[in-house]
Amino acid sequence: MFAHIYLYRLKCIVRDKQVVFWTLLFPILLAVLFEMAFSNITKGEVFKEIKIAVVDNEAFRKDIHFQEALKAVSTEADGSRLFDIRYASKEDCINLLKDGEIEGYIYCENGIHLEIKNNGLNETIIKSFLDDYQQTAATLQTVMAQNPEAMQKGLIDEIAKRKDYLKEVAASHSEPDTVVHYFYTLLAMACMYGSFWGLKEIYAIQGNQSAQGARVCAAPTQKMRAFAASLLAAVTAQAAIILIVLLFLIFALGVDFGNRLAYVVLTCLVGTVAGVTYGTFISILSHKSEGIKVGTLIGTTMLFSFLAGMMYDGMKLIINNNVPILGYLNPVNLIADSFYALYFYSGTTHYSLNLMILAAMAVVFGLITFLVLRRQKYASL
Amino acid sequence: MVIKVENLVKRYGDLIALDHFNMELHEGEVLGLLGPNGSGKTTAINCILSLLKYDKGNIEIFGKPMSPDAYDIKRDIGIIMQNVAVFEELTVYENTDYFCGLYVTDKKKRRALVDEAIEFVGLKDFKKFYPKKLSGGLLRRLNIACGIAHKPKLIILDEPTVAVDPQSRNNILEGILRLNKEGASIVYTSHYMEEVEQICSRIIIMDKGKTIAAGTKDELKSMIKAVEKVTVEVYQPNEGVLTGIRSLNNVISAEFDGEMLVVKCGKGSHNLMMILEHLKANDILFGKVYSEPPTLNDVFLEITGKELRD
Ligand SMILES: Nc1ncnc2c1ncn2[C@@H]1O[C@H](COP(=O)(O)OP(=O)(O)O)[C@@H](O)[C@H]1O
Ligand SMILES: [Mg+2]
Repeated sequence: MFAHIYLYRLKCIVRDKQVVFWTLLFPILLAVLFEMAFSNITKGEVFKEIKIAVVDNEAFRKDIHFQEALKAVSTEADGSRLFDIRYASKEDCINLLKDGEIEGYIYCENGIHLEIKNNGLNETIIKSFLDDYQQTAATLQTVMAQNPEAMQKGLIDEIAKRKDYLKEVAASHSEPDTVVHYFYTLLAMACMYGSFWGLKEIYAIQGNQSAQGARVCAAPTQKMRAFAASLLAAVTAQAAIILIVLLFLIFALGVDFGNRLAYVVLTCLVGTVAGVTYGTFISILSHKSEGIKVGTLIGTTMLFSFLAGMMYDGMKLIINNNVPILGYLNPVNLIADSFYALYFYSGTTHYSLNLMILAAMAVVFGLITFLVLRRQKYASL
Repeated sequence: MVIKVENLVKRYGDLIALDHFNMELHEGEVLGLLGPNGSGKTTAINCILSLLKYDKGNIEIFGKPMSPDAYDIKRDIGIIMQNVAVFEELTVYENTDYFCGLYVTDKKKRRALVDEAIEFVGLKDFKKFYPKKLSGGLLRRLNIACGIAHKPKLIILDEPTVAVDPQSRNNILEGILRLNKEGASIVYTSHYMEEVEQICSRIIIMDKGKTIAAGTKDELKSMIKAVEKVTVEVYQPNEGVLTGIRSLNNVISAEFDGEMLVVKCGKGSHNLMMILEHLKANDILFGKVYSEPPTLNDVFLEITGKELRD
């Protein structure tokens, strides 16, 4: 019975050309438009490496890890580097800084110190690099005792990622990488479009929403089984659609999602479930016509996307600074921000938080749907 | 007893849609629920199927109380809703198979049942058609196929012939009688009295959520005083004619409907002769003459004072 309903619902979904257009083709078309609009902007932003110096003393020579870390951010392995480093005596460093040849110098003696002349973005970047290094080094301290190689490897990896992030901040001082952000929000919006399938599925099994639903209710079918099969069909279809959109973004448009693709896919999946259940939730809440509900879904998803910065990327910042809670209640923002976190931050704290809130939302939407659906008789049809 | 409904009350807000409605369906019957639009037929059906909450009353099917999770009862019911309930995205075959599959899990058995149902409603050549490509009448037939494929013992049809061409209508009515012959008990709702007269072995006439009369069509017709309706075309209709006719023995009522004089008479074998003689004696010119037994509409009219079809 479960498989019977599941397969037929999947058939109905796949054959619904209109919704397939909105869930699959529309995001792809929008992505192509974005690509066309942005292709000129990105190329212009070139990062200029920051000139620094390191005092080449006894303490520095002993700190192999730090040397490695510096090497990692100053070699041209990937065509660009964060720092242009000179190694010199302390006196030379002081002079270089005074003459404006360097932005600052690093000095090892009972810890790592930074000397700078001005206070600006570049100085902030040097400082945050050092903070990061020291923090990471501290966390990995215990590992070091047992396995020095692991320590070395972990440290370098962390720092390499951090470098990319800092570079982004530096490259586009006022606008941290705009372009990926637009695509991330777009994919997030596409996930939420799964709500259309949620709506469709509820329509097909709810006795007071359609004659078809009434027929299902009159049959000896457990409501919950029908709902579970329908929900699974919607999630299956939407997950496949999102995967196609993701592959299109990566391979056809070259959008960079970083190298933790498994997490990206996980985000898509949770986002899809949140999208579908959001649709079932909106659908079950009201008795209104299907048109009004579709309108509600399109309207709210657009609003979510706008607030997450799909039309104007500064929006995200405005929300973050003024009403941060809104960012956490906005599913599109949560999904987009998860992609963002995966790309820019090496850790998973920020990412996990986003994903957990998103999953909680899906659970709440699903639960409310379940509770309303469980009512077995209707006051009116 | 297949269905037993006692004192069913259903309100929509202030509106009383069913007002202590009673109904019984015996095995092998074709029961007609006849009533004008809004009389509560669909509401009654939906309550019986446990789709609608009701305020008061008792509903038993196959001798057991009906409830939303009475799956063993539901398994033996086939429903044909007033509104066509099929999926746009599925073909004729797939739609029938989908709904049949909610009742019959065995695939092989189901294939035979679905084929049989499609054949039964005459859609054999349309198996691969999508609902959009079907005419109104064929769509209604598909709607029926979806409701009967699992061979239910009880079939409930809610106005299955609304907006249907005469050919499909006959196909549907014959089909219902065939299903009945094969052993199904049937509830058939309609606001078309001709259909109900044609196929129902027993009839319940409803108005405003109440049963106003019940019985076989002959029983119903014998309930009313007027047993004969005489219609005469009169060339110069005037009040004097009516007064004269009304004074005749055995005449219950006389009215003009345009040029047609409509006279309702009680039991008696010479009603027509008596009226014509009266007209002749008074030098009233007349043309065409008809005499008919009363219809269910007359039954409805006499009990409620209004026409069945407005
Ligand atoms: N969902 C509803 N909400 C409010 N009133 C309704 C609803 N459905 C039906 N009614 C009213 O209940 C009465 C009976 O309707 P219905 O059962 O559909 O009659 P029928 O099927 O005989 O045409 C009508 O007056 C109708 O307007
Ligand atoms: Mg009705």
